[in-house]
Amino acid sequence: MNWNLFLTELVSGVTHGSVYALIALGYSMVYGVLKLLNFAHGDIYMVGSYIGFGLITVFGGAQTLSTSVWVLLPLMFICAMLGGGLLGVLIERFAYRRLRNAPRIAPLITALGVSFFLENAALLVLGAQYQSYNSFSWKGGELWREGLMLPAGVHLAVAQIVVVVGAVVLMVFLTLFVQRTQLGKAMRATSFDREAAAMMGIDVDRVIVATFFIGSALAGAAGVFNGLAYQQVWPYMGFQAGLYAFIAAVVGGIGNLPGAVVGGLVIGLAQSLSIGYISSTFSDAIVFAVLIAVMIVRPSGLLGRAAVQKV
Amino acid sequence: MFRRIGLVAIVAVGATLAIVAAAAARPASPATATVSCSKPVQIGMMAPITGPVSSIGDDQLHWALFAVSQWNANKANKVKLKIVQGDTQLQASLASTVAQSFASNSSLMGVIGPAGSDEVQAAGPILKKAGLAFASGSATRVSLTGGAFGGYFFRDVPNDGVQGPTDANYMTSTLGVKSGDTVMIVDDQESYSTGLADIVGPALTAKGVTVDRESISQKATDFSALIAKITSSVKVVFLPFQVASEAQLFAQQAQVQGKNAAIFGSDGTFDSKNFTAGNYVSFFAPDVTTIAADAATVAAFNKKFPGGTSPFGAPNYVLAQLYGQAATKACTAGKGKISRASMRKAFAKASLSKTILGTPIKFSATGDLSGAKFHIFKIVNGKYQTVQ
Repeated sequence: MNWNLFLTELVSGVTHGSVYALIALGYSMVYGVLKLLNFAHGDIYMVGSYIGFGLITVFGGAQTLSTSVWVLLPLMFICAMLGGGLLGVLIERFAYRRLRNAPRIAPLITALGVSFFLENAALLVLGAQYQSYNSFSWKGGELWREGLMLPAGVHLAVAQIVVVVGAVVLMVFLTLFVQRTQLGKAMRATSFDREAAAMMGIDVDRVIVATFFIGSALAGAAGVFNGLAYQQVWPYMGFQAGLYAFIAAVVGGIGNLPGAVVGGLVIGLAQSLSIGYISSTFSDAIVFAVLIAVMIVRPSGLLGRAAVQKV
Repeated sequence: MFRRIGLVAIVAVGATLAIVAAAAARPASPATATVSCSKPVQIGMMAPITGPVSSIGDDQLHWALFAVSQWNANKANKVKLKIVQGDTQLQASLASTVAQSFASNSSLMGVIGPAGSDEVQAAGPILKKAGLAFASGSATRVSLTGGAFGGYFFRDVPNDGVQGPTDANYMTSTLGVKSGDTVMIVDDQESYSTGLADIVGPALTAKGVTVDRESISQKATDFSALIAKITSSVKVVFLPFQVASEAQLFAQQAQVQGKNAAIFGSDGTFDSKNFTAGNYVSFFAPDVTTIAADAATVAAFNKKFPGGTSPFGAPNYVLAQLYGQAATKACTAGKGKISRASMRKAFAKASLSKTILGTPIKFSATGDLSGAKFHIFKIVNGKYQTVQ
C-alpha cells in the first residue's frame, strides 16, 4: 500500500471537509430554526473570503506583508466572522423576516435571489478577476514551509493545521454554546417547536437573528480558511462550496449540528479519496453517489432523526 | 350589412397594400447591404474586454485599435477603418449576444474574434448567417476550420493540431522524457482543455511515453489529492488549463508536496503575471517584445497604451492590417462600395509578406494559417524566456 498517497489524500480530505463542515453548520442551524434552505449562505462565505483578502491588501499584500502572520490571521478571522455575521443578520432582516409565515417556496426563491444579488454585487464592486491570498508568499512562505512531518514522508503544513484546528475549535465552541448557554437552549427549543418556544416566553426573533449571526460568522471564517489553504477568491466561489456544504448538511442530517460536521468530513474525504484511488474525472459523480446512497439507506441523513408526524 | 362587409374589405385590402409597400421599401438585409467606402469601414472586435481574462481582451483590443490608428494615419490608405467593440467576457453566451448585435449592424463588414474556441462555436452560426468574415487571433481548436464555417472563419494563429505534437516533441527531445516515463495530463473539464489533452496524449503515447490522464473541474482550488498521485516516474505534468491562476495554484501546491516534475502549461495558461510557479508554457504567438525588428512598433504601442503587452495582442494587430488590405481591395472592386460578401472574398485572399509576428501571413483554403508553428517559453524566476 502506498501510505504516502493514502495519508496525503486523508490530509486533503480532512482539510477540505473542515471547510465544508463549517459552511454546512450554518445551513443546518438556519434550517433547524426556520426550516429554510438559505442558498445565500455560500455567498456569505464568499464575502468572508473577500474580507480576508481585503485585510491582506491593507497590510501590504501577500508578497510584502507589513505585519506578522500571527497578527494578521486572528484579525482576518475576527473581521470575516463579524462581517459575515452582520451580513447574515441583514439578509434575515430585509429578505426573510417578512416571509416567515409565507409558503415555503417564497423564502426559498428569495434565498436564490439574495444569492444572485450578492454574487452580482461582488462582481460589480470587486470585479470578476480571480484574486489570490497567495499564502505561499507570506513572510517567505512560513505557513507552507513549516509544519509537521507525518509518517511516509507526508508534510502537514502550518496552513493546513490552522484550517483543521481552527475549524475544530469553532465547532467545539458552537457545541458548547448550543448546549450550555441560555441562548443556545433557546435555539434548540425554537428549532424543536417555534410556536411552543414563543409561548414559553422565548424571544423567537432574537433567537433567529442570533442563529443567522452565528451561522453566517462560521461561513465567514470558512471563507478565510479556504483562502488560506486554497488561495483563490472570486465572486462565484460561493456557489460550488455552498453546493458541497449543502450536500454535507443533507448527508449528515440537515438540522443536526454534529451531522453537519460528519457530513462535511464524509464529503471532503469522498472527494479526495475518489481522486486518489478511483478517478479524478468522476470525483463529483462519486460525491453525489455518496449522497444518493446515504439517502436510500438513511433518508434523514447519517445523524438525522426521522420527523414523526401525528395525524 | 353589405355596406359593412364592403368597408371591412376595403380596410383589409388597404392594410395588405400597406404591408407590401413597407416590405418593398425596407432596406436590404445587413447580410447583403452595401455601404459607401467614403466613411470608415466598420470592423467588429469581439474580445473579453471585462471579466476574469480582461487582461487578455484589453491587450487584443488595444493592438487592434493601434493597427487601425496606424492604418488611418497613413495617407496612402484611402479606405479608413473603425473598430466597433463587443465585450464577450470569454463566455459563449455573451459571444452569441454580441454576434447578434454585430449581425444586425448593416454598416459592419467584418469581425476580429471571438477570442475563445467555445465562443467561435457559439457565435459562428450567427456571424456566418449574417455573411460576415470573422477572424480570431487566439481560437485554436482544430475543428473550427475546414468545417461549417469554411469561407467565413479565419485565424492567424496555429491550431491545437500543431500545439499537441510541438509540446510532445519538446517533452521528449528537450525535457528528457523517455519511453517508459510518465507524463500526467490534467484537463480542466472544459472543451478547450479536453480537446488539447486528447491531442497531446496520443502524441506522447506514440513515442512510448505512459500517459496518466486526469481531469479536474476548472473551479477546483484544491489539487493536493491529484498531486499526491505524482510519483517519481512522472517527469512532466501537462496542464492544458484555461485559467492561468489555476495552473499557478497547481504548481504551488506541487511545490509544497515536494514534487519535482516539470509543470508545462498550454496557451490558456500563458500569463506572466498569474502563472509564474510553473516551468514551461507553449503559446501560439511569439513575444513581440523580444523580436528586434518589432522594437519601434512595440515602443509606439506602449506609448499609446502604457501598461505593457502580452503575446495575446499582436495577432489581432495583424488581423486588423489584413482587414485594411481587404477593405481597400473590396472597395476598389466595388467602385467605392463594399459589402460583407466582397469583404469576405478579399479577406480570404489577403496576405502579408512581413508581419510583427516574424512570419508571413497567408490563409490556407480552410482559413487556417499557412506554415504555422507554436512557440515554447521557459519560466525562469517568474520571467518568460523564449526557448523555441
